[in-house]
Amino acid sequence: MKGQGPALDRLIHRLAECPPDFLAEPRIGSKSGIHTAAVVHDLLFELGGSWPPPSSVGHFGFASAERRNWLRLVAVASWLLYDDWFRTQRTFAKPALEWLRQGLNGIAELVTADLFVTDPDRREELARLCLSALGLLPSGENEHQAEDRLKSLNSVERVRLIKETQEQQKRARQLREEMRRKEAIEAAARVSRE
Amino acid sequence: MTRAADIPQERLARNPLITPEGYQRLRAILEHPDAPAWNYEVGDRLQSDDLPAVDAFRQQLGNAPPRFEPEPPDSLTAWVEQQRPRVPLIQEALPEGFDLRRDWAHIPAMTRADLVHRLEDIVPLDADLLRMIVYDTSGVTGHAILVPQHPRAMAQYHPLLEIMLEQYGIRPDFSERVTACLNVGCQVSTVTFATLFSVWRQAGFAKVNLHERVWDRERAQRFFSDTAPLFLTGDPLGFAQMAAWDIECRPAAMISTAVTLAPELRLKLQERYGCPVIDIYSTTESGPIAFSAPDGEGMLAAAPDLYVEIVDNEGRPVKEGEIGEICVSGGRNPYLPLLRYRTGDFGRLAPDQQGRLRLYDLQAREPIAFVDGDGLPVCMVDVARIIREWPLVQHEFSQQADRSCRLVIQPLAGYQVDVDMVREKLEKLFGPAVPVTVELDQHLGDSRPGGKVIPFRSLIP
Repeated sequence: MKGQGPALDRLIHRLAECPPDFLAEPRIGSKSGIHTAAVVHDLLFELGGSWPPPSSVGHFGFASAERRNWLRLVAVASWLLYDDWFRTQRTFAKPALEWLRQGLNGIAELVTADLFVTDPDRREELARLCLSALGLLPSGENEHQAEDRLKSLNSVERVRLIKETQEQQKRARQLREEMRRKEAIEAAARVSRE
Repeated sequence: MTRAADIPQERLARNPLITPEGYQRLRAILEHPDAPAWNYEVGDRLQSDDLPAVDAFRQQLGNAPPRFEPEPPDSLTAWVEQQRPRVPLIQEALPEGFDLRRDWAHIPAMTRADLVHRLEDIVPLDADLLRMIVYDTSGVTGHAILVPQHPRAMAQYHPLLEIMLEQYGIRPDFSERVTACLNVGCQVSTVTFATLFSVWRQAGFAKVNLHERVWDRERAQRFFSDTAPLFLTGDPLGFAQMAAWDIECRPAAMISTAVTLAPELRLKLQERYGCPVIDIYSTTESGPIAFSAPDGEGMLAAAPDLYVEIVDNEGRPVKEGEIGEICVSGGRNPYLPLLRYRTGDFGRLAPDQQGRLRLYDLQAREPIAFVDGDGLPVCMVDVARIIREWPLVQHEFSQQADRSCRLVIQPLAGYQVDVDMVREKLEKLFGPAVPVTVELDQHLGDSRPGGKVIPFRSLIP
């Protein structure tokens, strides 16, 4: 059973106001930039009321260059989780860390982090993903409504469907090409005509 | 004496199981001095592991003649369950939890339009396309379609024919020393070839065309006499021409397919050739469905692996004995698992006293006679062949009493039809005295029930 979370508008609005610093280049290896591990470390303190061990955020400090977009998205998501509503509860440090570590991988491969600030649908998607990961429902929605709405916005699912459709189209093309090829060559003798 | 080494590679590719004796028989047919001008080469493409499968099917046919089943039998529902994960269209038709037995009548029927537009959703996802062969239907029913097939499934047609012949007390003695069968047609243009069938112990076979533009009567008479086929297959037009040419032949049976055989012609052929004339109802999509019963009471269902039902316009089963559209499920084509496939043909079903399934009042593929400018007959297959060169959904071809012809085509979305070229080809077929018009209509059939049109019509008296 999910608990009631904040109003969705509030989170969407907050994302729209995400400071450009959070979208700046992340620190990767020796390259300077936003220290994502430090951002998450501070966030976890705010959400839980105590300092987590540094090792808990080590994951964010050793990411490779291929994970640039994921690090930027983690920063944007951290900005979202800094919202007063989450901080005052003091109970979300653990699920928030889990979400930041594991929950954004798929979407980060598909959608550039900037869009979660500039695009209204992606803002709503990230806000909903956040609430879902924390076991919350947007204020005023029931579980069914929240699931439905998230499904309709879900980038990962959408891309999966597109890929599936592309696979189907590819198979359809291959089958028709094969049939055209086989049609051009002789079949097998029939003893009568249908 | 022919040796294995004498068999050309091309023939081995077409008939991989051919023997020297079989090849000798084939050459005797091919090189007959009065043979028609062969214009095609083809074989049975059977491999050694196909023969046991065909034998097993033969055994199955002998053990289980098709029974009247008011509800789908367990073997069919089990087969559908097997197809469900492999066939997108079946998955779509059967949502999770669908009760096949209880809700059978609610399964959306498959149509020819599905075969035209969604074939990739019907061919199973894991189907091995390596041995796939392709047939196109004649298009006389309005939608010309490409049907994928497998040589093994084609060879299973042969035991079905054997069973039908057996019902008439005929058991042909197949061997490489005989011509099993000649297939007789009469079209302006069609393929003619000779081959042999491994499932019939290398017996010979030839498809011949009795049209006077391509063969003549005396030569055909000598060819038939010398090849002495055990039985004949053909369509009514071909058989009618055979009688008209007074071809002497002693077949054990004449098997008529493709279009409806008129009772008068059947009687005439029986008298002239002194053998039973068996009318087979068959479609390229399903293979043989039923054949005329020896006692004259309707048609007997042919294949135990094909479930036949009669449905109304909405695809719901009609009451027992009522006329409706013939709908089939199952079959043995590995590329075309049919689930409530609507054939576009009509009839009614009832059990006979032995509980066998019989089909009555079949209305399918009525032959339509057209005439050219000189008043000579033009077969609708010749017209269909011209039309099907273009990708189209369906068509309406009609000939008026003054012999003028009009063709309306509903083209397949995204494809072009060269209207001028279609008209030129039809003008060539019918001759300069027959005016021909050709039109395109994207909405052809929109105002008809189920979008169906009458593909061929003739007002020639």
